Amino acid sequence: MSQALNELIDALKRLPGLGPRSAQRLAHHLLNHDRAAAKRLARALARAAEVLVHCAECNTFSETPVCARCADPARDRSVVCVVETPADLEAFDAAHVFQGCYYVLMGRLSPLDGIGPKALGIEKLLARIARPEVKEVVLATNFTAEGEATAQWLAERIAAAVPTCTITRLARGVPVGGELEYADPATIAYAWHDRRVLTNQQS
Amino acid sequence: MNETRRGGSDRGFLLHAEPWRETSLLVDAWTRAHGRLWLVAKGAKRPHSALRSVLLPFQPLHLRWSGKGERLTLTGAEWLGGMPLLSGEALWCGYYLNELILRLAPREVPHPEWFDAYETAVRALAAGEPVAPVLRAFEWASLQATGHAPQWPETGPVAVPLSAEAYQAVAQGAWSAPIVAREVKPWLRALIDHCLEGRPLRTRAFMKEWVTNGKG
Repeated sequence: MSQALNELIDALKRLPGLGPRSAQRLAHHLLNHDRAAAKRLARALARAAEVLVHCAECNTFSETPVCARCADPARDRSVVCVVETPADLEAFDAAHVFQGCYYVLMGRLSPLDGIGPKALGIEKLLARIARPEVKEVVLATNFTAEGEATAQWLAERIAAAVPTCTITRLARGVPVGGELEYADPATIAYAWHDRRVLTNQQS
Repeated sequence: MNETRRGGSDRGFLLHAEPWRETSLLVDAWTRAHGRLWLVAKGAKRPHSALRSVLLPFQPLHLRWSGKGERLTLTGAEWLGGMPLLSGEALWCGYYLNELILRLAPREVPHPEWFDAYETAVRALAAGEPVAPVLRAFEWASLQATGHAPQWPETGPVAVPLSAEAYQAVAQGAWSAPIVAREVKPWLRALIDHCLEGRPLRTRAFMKEWVTNGKG
């Protein structure tokens, strides 16, 4: 096999979820059926790898040292919402309820995969939160086992490092428009654990 | 491996899951009568998958599977529930239990007693009991299940000595006895390290980092 083709397959294999056979299939497709897409992909990849940096404020991908969202003066600087990935940030922002700032971890803790706190670069987050204007941190990591582990770990670290900061976690419960009859038992179990008081009458 | 088509169902726990292809998960499950199984949870990452909210660690499940070869297909998972979620220190300890099984249990070898010890340990962690006795009891159960538990006065393949009093505590399962923390803990650790042939436990390094960085 040609060396150029080998190198391409090797490079594709580094993508998550792609084994040698899938990598070979993609390489053959790009070169055989869609040479224009192959060139476009090469250009886009080279440019992205060249110009994208992590925003100094929120750690997401940005072409400028501080991303447009963080540079927006209308954003509330007193609340920082911590999410796992840029995709989570976009999903959260699409709800149009949150006017504060974000911080993107670019991952999560995964004890069994050996992804510990060091790999997560927690120091940058702590420095961000330690600013005097920050009053609340919202932990919006995913409700998976690792997301939950990450939230608990962050809560401990933030409480120790920045004691003046209020730490909150997104609520967990039955989806909007959801009927209990059709909700899965695990979701109902968590909704029960996280139930809240509506009235607090003392006799 | 076994190439005949087989199906089954059992009480079990999810030990570890990793993404597989676009929408599926590769699951390491720990079942009572079938041991550690490698299951593909097809479509488990899709937004409306019934498996998605059920496939969580540290929760008792009823698992169903079919297929052939080493990697079987998960065909159903039911939430048995009744256990609070692990949090804080108990959660890290839970990951440690899972790693011990992932590293010490060969696939598809039934270990009902070891399974029961695991469930007892997870329940104790979920109930907020002191973690050290829970971990020692499970470490000992793991050594017994894998045939690595030495009989006193033999101390096994490790150079850590064990006194008669300490072995008494082990034999009686008195895991809260003061001598356990002092003498039995390093002995169990040395035995487990021997079983792992020197490959370090990821969760142990993780907990060390947690204690030094987080709790101070």
